[in-house]
Amino acid sequence: MIAPLRSARVVAGLLIVLLMLVCALGAPWLASHDPDEQDLVAMLLPAVWQQGGDWAHLLGTDGLGRDVASRLLYGARVAMLVAGTASLGAAVVGASLAYVAGYLGGWVDWVIGRAIDVWMSFPPVILSLILMTGLGTGARNVILAIVLVDWTRFCRVLRAEVIVTAHRDYVTAARLSGFSHVRTVLREIVPATVPLLVTVLTLEMGIAVVVEAILSFVGLGVKSSQIAWGQMIADGRDAVYQAPLALLAPVGAIFLAVAGFNLLGDGLRRSLDVRMVEGRE
Amino acid sequence: MVEVSRRHVLQAAAIAPLARGVPVWAAEPDGVTIGWPSDVTSWDPNQRFTPDAHAIMKAVFDQPLDQDAKLKLSPGLITKWDMAADAKSLTLDFRDDVLFHDGSKMTAADFRWTFFERIKAGHKVDIAQSMRKVTDIEVVSPTRAIMRFDSPAPTVPVWLAFLGSFLVPKAYMEKVGVEEFARKPVGTGPYKLVEHQMNARIVLERNEAYWGPKPKMKRVTIEIIKDPSARVAAVQSGQVDITINVPVRELTRLKALPGLATDLTPVTKVILLQVRNDEGFADQNIRLAAHHAIDKKALSAAFYAGAAVPLAVLGVPGSPGYLDDYKFDFDPERARALLAKSGYSMDKPAKIRMASTNGQFPSDYDIARAIVQMWKKVGIEADLEVIEYAKYFELNRGNKLPETTLYTFDNATGDPEIYTGYLLNPKLPFSPWKDMNFGQKVIDQFNVADETARIAGWRALNREASEMGAAMPLLQSVLTVVRKKGLAVVPYGNGWILPQAMAWG
Amino acid sequence: MILWATLGRRLVTAVPILCVVSVLLFTALRVLPVDPAAMSMPPNATKEEIEAARREMGLDRPLPEQYGLWLGRAMRGDFGRSIHHRRDAGALVRETLPGTIELALAAMAVSSVLGLGGGLLLFGLRERTMEPVAETVTTLMMSVPEFLWALLFIFVFGVALQAMPFTGRLDPGMKLPGLTGFLVLDAVLTGRLDILWSALVHLVLPAVALGLAFAPPIMRVLRASLIDTYHEDYIRQARLRGVSEGRILIRHALKNAVLPTLTLMGVQFGFLFGGSLLVEVIYSYPGMGNLMVDAVRNADLPIIQVVGLTYCVVVLVINSVVDGLYLVLNPRLRPR
Repeated sequence: MIAPLRSARVVAGLLIVLLMLVCALGAPWLASHDPDEQDLVAMLLPAVWQQGGDWAHLLGTDGLGRDVASRLLYGARVAMLVAGTASLGAAVVGASLAYVAGYLGGWVDWVIGRAIDVWMSFPPVILSLILMTGLGTGARNVILAIVLVDWTRFCRVLRAEVIVTAHRDYVTAARLSGFSHVRTVLREIVPATVPLLVTVLTLEMGIAVVVEAILSFVGLGVKSSQIAWGQMIADGRDAVYQAPLALLAPVGAIFLAVAGFNLLGDGLRRSLDVRMVEGRE
Repeated sequence: MVEVSRRHVLQAAAIAPLARGVPVWAAEPDGVTIGWPSDVTSWDPNQRFTPDAHAIMKAVFDQPLDQDAKLKLSPGLITKWDMAADAKSLTLDFRDDVLFHDGSKMTAADFRWTFFERIKAGHKVDIAQSMRKVTDIEVVSPTRAIMRFDSPAPTVPVWLAFLGSFLVPKAYMEKVGVEEFARKPVGTGPYKLVEHQMNARIVLERNEAYWGPKPKMKRVTIEIIKDPSARVAAVQSGQVDITINVPVRELTRLKALPGLATDLTPVTKVILLQVRNDEGFADQNIRLAAHHAIDKKALSAAFYAGAAVPLAVLGVPGSPGYLDDYKFDFDPERARALLAKSGYSMDKPAKIRMASTNGQFPSDYDIARAIVQMWKKVGIEADLEVIEYAKYFELNRGNKLPETTLYTFDNATGDPEIYTGYLLNPKLPFSPWKDMNFGQKVIDQFNVADETARIAGWRALNREASEMGAAMPLLQSVLTVVRKKGLAVVPYGNGWILPQAMAWG
Repeated sequence: MILWATLGRRLVTAVPILCVVSVLLFTALRVLPVDPAAMSMPPNATKEEIEAARREMGLDRPLPEQYGLWLGRAMRGDFGRSIHHRRDAGALVRETLPGTIELALAAMAVSSVLGLGGGLLLFGLRERTMEPVAETVTTLMMSVPEFLWALLFIFVFGVALQAMPFTGRLDPGMKLPGLTGFLVLDAVLTGRLDILWSALVHLVLPAVALGLAFAPPIMRVLRASLIDTYHEDYIRQARLRGVSEGRILIRHALKNAVLPTLTLMGVQFGFLFGGSLLVEVIYSYPGMGNLMVDAVRNADLPIIQVVGLTYCVVVLVINSVVDGLYLVLNPRLRPR
């Protein structure tokens, strides 16, 4: 695992992701204000470098007089939580099905393949909206929705790889020497697909950040009491003439987080020499 | 034709980058273009209660009774009305000089058709609800009719000036049918409908044979612009002469622009918290603490530039049911004390759920979140959920509303029955307060015939409701208007923006 | 022939997919804690009236029977009435779909031009000093989803520069010609150049925002395919024959490299069509996306069902068209 660290992208990506994690975990200490604390007489204050700015509010305040910078820090918590757990969940579901389908083949493979077809005929945004309608708001449901939508991304990519690996000589040899199916998959096939899995997982984290922001933006994401970048955007949009930073700051945060995961994923793909079909969402 | 429009395009293209912020379309001296937030869903004026389209309906149709700018009932198509002492019959005298747009004469028979025969014929009209008590309408002569009710109906005159009450022609409607009528409406109003493109524009032309004062504007164009920021852009660029319901924050910015004037008028709409009488709000101490913890003045200053008047009872200042001498103080100390009595504190907060709309009226969601914060400071923890306005009724019907809901209620008449009588009547869909002790008092109050006793009764109930925390009135809503400086509009206390009351100064 | 056969096969596989999707949609939405019957009635309706409406809507029957009823009606083009708009759900989709397709087509055009142009540029920069910079730029571009572009454009062109309109499809007060619902087409057909201009100006920001988000993957795949193709023998042979570099690129390399790019574009355009939803919301663009978001907020089941299905149909059509194009462009798959 040293080789990837020689890639500038991997290092840059790691640094950004690390920064995000520090913001998320350290929010209670880093934030200058209680992020929910409103001040109805200090609404829509400008940022510190703008005219009338104040060091008390680095990035100004929003339409309820809440400190934008502090909310930005706390917003990283939901973003990182969803990015981490949702993509892991999608990876577990998608990869398991891929191993089963690719290794067993036959009707199992056929059924899983058709399921992917059905899923792929739905634009992911639409599917997650419909799922959230049924599930209701909340961080846990956002994670569940992302897992239910994005498992196909892992399954599609990995299935092809598993089929190739399963036909390699050493796998056949393992079977012939009396290994069980489970053991063969776990010992021989899974390790061969780890680089691909890690790469897709990293890219998926960026996608999860975006999906969470989208859902929170249309009011179908996390609970309204939770602080999320998508909600900050929805709030900031109403006052864009008066306090543009309330909108631009969360936009920048989402970009930075996604860029971090993308740089990391891209760098890993190159240094681990993974071939995969590109495409987003 | 093509040649002309091409030139038009080139002009438009040439000025497009400069157009914003500089009025370019010259206003016609006797015409006006209005930017309106919603479309007319049906031109059958009796079909639905649509507060948003009421002002447009009032241009094409007339109401039997009218309201002046101060909301007092005034003669309309009816010149004289006389409620019997038992409030079970109402004698009406009609004008004899009113013509429908098709030239036919309006008589008492048209009144009977609109408010009785249509309903009996099974037309799906919302006025069936407001005219529920009507057992018959007797046509004495072409200019006189007597309405008869099964129980005292003191508010029928008010309803004759309220939502859905517009006179339609019997002969024409019977001839063409309801569907066709909705396409080609005929009324008695100061304007005739010339053109209507769904979700785009409505064009009205002056009715030269109108019985009342002749409107100044010959032609009225109503542009349907649903998006608030698009309405702002349209009035800023001069595409429309006047528009309403723009965010309060924008007013300050727009006022500074040359050629524009802005108005911020308090209207008859109230903003309140509807409350349940059970679950987390079963304890009166908690309800009153919640009410005392809300700084209404701060809410008004923050979201309505201070123009929205804080309310202590259900009703607006100047309306008959309002109590000028009654105050409900913002007093966090008292709120904490009340909570302490029931065993709650900052460390052990009372927990409730709250619902709010987002975008139903200006800053609704912000107000709800500000209230949650104010409660947090005294020891009430509210879990806020966003609902759509339409869902309110469905949740309430299933008794599933949370402890409290941020709500708004429009009552252009100002009558206390249509505030308190509707908002707190357990039999109507608006009230989550289902306790019949208080509820029965509200229901009984509907049948009080004597006007003085009626108003006094509602005033007493208003006070009682606030004192026991059955409702938390917050603010009187405001109407925002942005218009060209030269355009004068009569400000109505109920927020009507009437084309017939506009003039270029 | 084989083209039609492939398209036919595609359509045949599309039918079961649609069936499964409709079953999933139907059951998923029936679990919702809302009562469509109650929501479809005015606030002052009585319990009896609501029960009557429930029977009329068939909501008192078992779920499979409800689905059968719904499917039977849907076959006849009757998708029920919108609870919120109180209008025919199918008609609402017919009104809003052209707008969304117009936006998606414009965005696809932007995306294709940028994607292919950018891919060629990246390829041109290969093994030059600028290459890492260009690649990092594409990675960063990939990190901006369509809704962030949309917000940024509103901020820059709408609010700061005040140069472009950013709400709706037309200037307020312009008459919608209402022939096909495709404004650009309608304006051309009726010779209304003022409407054409207004429609195009209103299309610019949303289409570029949407197109820009889906261009970077196309750039990358084209670049990668071109690099692969240049390793092939026939390119070397062409060089030896003295064919010019420009000619090699256009006549030989591009023709082959475009095939994998096309496959990706097919997938991308399906996603792009879904991505139009957010862009519509942000630009108050009266299309199917706004209809859907409204419906989701109001739990307007008939609308959610028919819009969900429509998105599916469009994605399947796009996939079929891409398959067809693939055949047309790839001579190896055609019989001689």
